[in-house]
Amino acid sequence: MTSSTLTPDLHLTDKARRAPAGFGIAPAVVSIERLGKRYGRRCAVDGVSFEVNEREVVGLLGPNGSGKTTILRILTGYLRPSEGTVRIDGFDVVRDGQQARARVGYVPENAPLYGHMRVDEFLHFMGRLRGMRGPALRRGVESARARLSLDPVGDAVIGRLSRGYRQRVSIAQAVLHDPKLLVLDEPTNGLDPRQVIELRGLLRTLAHDSAVLVTSHILAEMERVADRVAILLDGRLLTVHPLAGPRSGASLRVRARADRADEVAAALSGLPGIAGVTREEPGGALAGWRVEVAEAGAAPHVAAALCLVGIASVETVEAASDLEELFLRLTASRVVH
Amino acid sequence: MTAFLALVAKELRALFVSPIAYAVIAVFLVLNGYGFAVTLIATKQATLANVFFQAAVQLVLLVPLVTMRQFAEERRGGTLELLLTAPVREGDIVLAKFAASMGMLLAMVALTLIYAGVLARFSTPDWGPIYSGYLGLVLLAGALVSIGLAVSALTANQIVAAVVSLGVFGMLWAIDAWAALLPSPIDDWVLGLSLLARFQPFAVGAMYASDFGFFLVVTLLGLFLAARGLARR
Repeated sequence: MTSSTLTPDLHLTDKARRAPAGFGIAPAVVSIERLGKRYGRRCAVDGVSFEVNEREVVGLLGPNGSGKTTILRILTGYLRPSEGTVRIDGFDVVRDGQQARARVGYVPENAPLYGHMRVDEFLHFMGRLRGMRGPALRRGVESARARLSLDPVGDAVIGRLSRGYRQRVSIAQAVLHDPKLLVLDEPTNGLDPRQVIELRGLLRTLAHDSAVLVTSHILAEMERVADRVAILLDGRLLTVHPLAGPRSGASLRVRARADRADEVAAALSGLPGIAGVTREEPGGALAGWRVEVAEAGAAPHVAAALCLVGIASVETVEAASDLEELFLRLTASRVVH
Repeated sequence: MTAFLALVAKELRALFVSPIAYAVIAVFLVLNGYGFAVTLIATKQATLANVFFQAAVQLVLLVPLVTMRQFAEERRGGTLELLLTAPVREGDIVLAKFAASMGMLLAMVALTLIYAGVLARFSTPDWGPIYSGYLGLVLLAGALVSIGLAVSALTANQIVAAVVSLGVFGMLWAIDAWAALLPSPIDDWVLGLSLLARFQPFAVGAMYASDFGFFLVVTLLGLFLAARGLARR
């Protein structure tokens, strides 16, 4: 079974215009204070504090093993914290665990589902597990099916669905009860580019009703979908960084022979869709430019345009974004083997 | 209550979706039917005592196949995360799995009532031992299922869960043989832990409160350990 296209309004790639979050305007749905988690002597999370506000998407970033999933599992009640407090909508996840869990929708990594169940059966089961019944359950299931475009597969056995549909079923079970907080662990894992785009739009739509906390390895995705990112390294929170908004374009890095630098600069300036050209000094026999373009994905067009005027560039690639540079700078202390 | 009933229904469906339940029931009925027929023809006595002993041994061998997947499969497939992050207690999850497993085993044992019907049709059996024998089987099944669930809650591997459960059941079944090697009064304490020694009186029509209490305590202890095995760490 293949993934069908979501409704057009879910294909949003830009963030909705709304009040800036994270500055005390919207009330906090999640409040994490000095959170710590130890496994024996190993400290998986150490003194992490941050908040997630209503209608805000916060991205949790960090290398593998930095404590992202552990934090999500504590938030959702799967693990107990060793120290510190976590409150969901005012309810402590340890003392008032059931009330806190009732306010959370959770999409675990790799979308674990009951493969033998049919989609509708699974959604009804998850609704009843959250105490829903009667008309409320029916409404919740119908609404989740519609939001996730699952109507064509309501009778399908989950084990036979494509990866994209399984991910949608996993998200549908998490939004059945209109949770205050939606938690997604690596939701783009295993999805093809089209499904990633659909998911991005979907997250923005879901953020109209819930606070969203999401982890992902793909920084560009975070940049497009999140209002703020919290960057973790070795269980410690390095920074909570507000994102200004969607980038309107992209930066390219162009390298070419230094002896033809003037011709390259002139050719670049003359290309359509170029917002600015800045000379860089890469050293050696090469000259470099940082080129601001109106749209992402312009690197092949720029390389082709240079070719047409007789210049073979050595390198034409998209430069790292601000978030990527921030992430790389902050996590530089981690030795990668 | 809605959540608990949903869990029980889901567990029952999961049991009967798998071919294991049908295989277990078929093997149990074929072996017991064979045993009942042979005993009846050989002894010509209207009793089910022999059937109860056979059924008890088969429960020891077959219950691990029913309980092995209960938590191990949920843990391996990641669906345990769905259950434990829902607003339900660990105890409800354990009780639902216990209720579903017992439901299947009780239905399986109930199918042997046909033997009692055969005896009633052709003779006048003593119903006391038959009632107590069935009560003994139900209590034994409860104890075995709860221990099996506790073992399954500790591992993500179904085979490990089955083998360890079988080991524990075998040890508790045959522990009376060890008791003979121990000095008094330790031998009495050890003998008191034997599933066989506790089940034997039920099969022959004798019911003691101590045996009843033993099976009840083992069942509750098993359920408690299963809930502890699941507990959020």
